[in-house]
Amino acid sequence: MKAENINPFIESVYDLFTTMLNAKAERKNVGIAKSANPRDIMALIGISGRVRGMVALAFPVSTALNMVNKLLNAEIKVMDDTVSDAIAEMVNIVAGGAKARMNTGDEKPLDLSLPTVVRGGDFSVDYPTNSVWLEINFDSDLGPFTLRVTFEPEK
Amino acid sequence: MRALVVDDSAVMRKVLIGALGRANINEVDQAADGAEAVQAVQQNEYDIILMDWNMPNMLGIDALKAIREMGKTMPIIMVTTEAEKSRVLEALKAGATNYVIKPFEPNTIVGKIQEVLNKSKGQ
Repeated sequence: MKAENINPFIESVYDLFTTMLNAKAERKNVGIAKSANPRDIMALIGISGRVRGMVALAFPVSTALNMVNKLLNAEIKVMDDTVSDAIAEMVNIVAGGAKARMNTGDEKPLDLSLPTVVRGGDFSVDYPTNSVWLEINFDSDLGPFTLRVTFEPEK
Repeated sequence: MRALVVDDSAVMRKVLIGALGRANINEVDQAADGAEAVQAVQQNEYDIILMDWNMPNMLGIDALKAIREMGKTMPIIMVTTEAEKSRVLEALKAGATNYVIKPFEPNTIVGKIQEVLNKSKGQ
């Protein structure tokens, strides 16, 4: 996966923040992801079609709560199903926006899987050998978070 | 006025119910997938439906087609991450009244709701 292929995902994150969260997010360093989960809660979604891959958003609890409270104008203080649901929808929105940006013409749109959310600070996420995940750290008005992306052309 | 909000995300349903409230529609039913939506339309009359695309059991596009095949003519706004032009055209061809791409600004969805209801009243 080339580094420039990450741009549609970064732009999609910015879109999510400016439209639905009325907040700013700023990209920090880009690197190769290690297997360990970088945060407390992670939402993953699959992309399939002419390319296939995965997109993940990972948050500390504080950022996840800030985002959900901003989205719903609520004051949720602990992780619950509402927070997981919101995080799942956010990775869905980021992946959806990115796949549209990756569609350069009349190609058949890529398909998204249903998102999955993993909670807990002591789990690790292992990826198949040879798959390379790019990791982009963000700072935002609502706290730090991490985007991970991997995809490859369908063989 | 009675609305149906169809989305597998409970949080997104809350966001959309809030938008409907800002458009003065406070009687709102919810469905978590396309199959539930079709069942709700069989049992109730709605003035407007907000419909996601990607959902388990039955996709929103298939629920849209099923509802139109039932002869129902209420406005249906697709509210989805599916942003490709071909998807928009597919939905409009299948009978969608309007199309909102996630993420959206709150005022955008409120404006679309009011727009389609005003057009619906004029017909």
